[in-house]
Amino acid sequence: MEAALAAAEARSDAIEFEQWVGQKGDALLRFAYVLTGDKSLAEDAVQDALTTACARWARVSRADDPEAYVKRMVVNAHISWWRRFRRREAPVEDPVRTASAAPDGAVDRAESEAVWALCATLPDKQRAAVVLRFYEELSYAEIGVLLHCAEATARSHVHRALAALKTTLSKEGAEDA
Amino acid sequence: MPEHDPEQELGPKFASAFQDRSATSELRGAGLAAVARKRVRRRRRALNGVAASVLVVVAVGGAWSVLGSGGTPTNSAGSAEVPTAAKDNRTQGIAPSYEADTACPTDHPIKGVEEAGAVPAGLDVSTPVTGLQACRYQVPGGEVLGHERFDAKVAQQVVDAIKVLPERNPALPVFKCAPEAARPTEAIALRFSTAAGIREIWVEYTGCTTPGFFTGSRTYGLFAAPLKLFMTGSVRPSGSTYLNALTGW
Repeated sequence: MEAALAAAEARSDAIEFEQWVGQKGDALLRFAYVLTGDKSLAEDAVQDALTTACARWARVSRADDPEAYVKRMVVNAHISWWRRFRRREAPVEDPVRTASAAPDGAVDRAESEAVWALCATLPDKQRAAVVLRFYEELSYAEIGVLLHCAEATARSHVHRALAALKTTLSKEGAEDA
Repeated sequence: MPEHDPEQELGPKFASAFQDRSATSELRGAGLAAVARKRVRRRRRALNGVAASVLVVVAVGGAWSVLGSGGTPTNSAGSAEVPTAAKDNRTQGIAPSYEADTACPTDHPIKGVEEAGAVPAGLDVSTPVTGLQACRYQVPGGEVLGHERFDAKVAQQVVDAIKVLPERNPALPVFKCAPEAARPTEAIALRFSTAAGIREIWVEYTGCTTPGFFTGSRTYGLFAAPLKLFMTGSVRPSGSTYLNALTGW
């Protein structure tokens, strides 16, 4: 009897998990893409996180915000990659400009490209802090928890990235002038 | 707030860039759940495999410690020596427990041994024997399925019938079977009383590998002549892969 109930519960969890991933999967992938800057890495990070979530879905689904919970797993997966493989890209002194400045009507687009290019040059934790701050709109305290660092360190990551962006945009402005 | 707070000034540029990129990433979550479930199943299978391996290692380690201990009874003769030897072994927690003279040991090493070759206190077939207790065990598990006692005459007849046998019975079929089917399901411990204490010959006749009589130092093929001497009463099995191929037992 207990075995039958457990089996029924497992089936119910599986269906619920499938539905939840159907609703949130795309958003998770987009978040992971912004976080990692690479589609393959994004898919791997999300798949790893969802595999962990699937294994403990009963607990994840009871969380206040399952999506935040899984996003935290994505961030952790990404951070753990740093630790395991040191696979981060080496930051360069000056970001490579991938799009030429558009003289008319496409300034925003050009800026967006410049920001994305800059992000590719940021150290991984700095990039994660920026994504969590401006894409996920988290507080510095929340970012600190996610990145396993102090709130002040999270703030420092973001402000260094902002300073780098400012420098980049200033240089581009000077070049375009 | 500072007049030119960099976060206020440049933060929206990051936000905008991220939103643009994520919107045009064309990443789709189709199949993520199925892959996750598949991976979880695979991980659980792997974990179960590891757990099973650990159990096997522990079981084999336990069996080896039992076999390695030897438990050879020393000195004294007569009926008093058996409980003494058993007591010595019990203090090590690894050998058969002799609850009474007439009972088969309830914790016999034969129960956990799939390869019957290593008998802890094997009989030297040239040794005179003064009695025989045949204990039929379920393997693995160790449940006593039956036991019979025989006098000195029958005991010596059994030994004499075994010691002339070749290493294997060529008349028995050779089976090829899966590991599950190859394992023995029961076996008999022939416990001979000797001047040096209880000495054993194990009889393996189930499963589909290595049937025969095992003394620990020698292997004798499975033939009907010795079997019919002690396979009586509760020690007589209903049949097995090899017994079914033998006649006259």
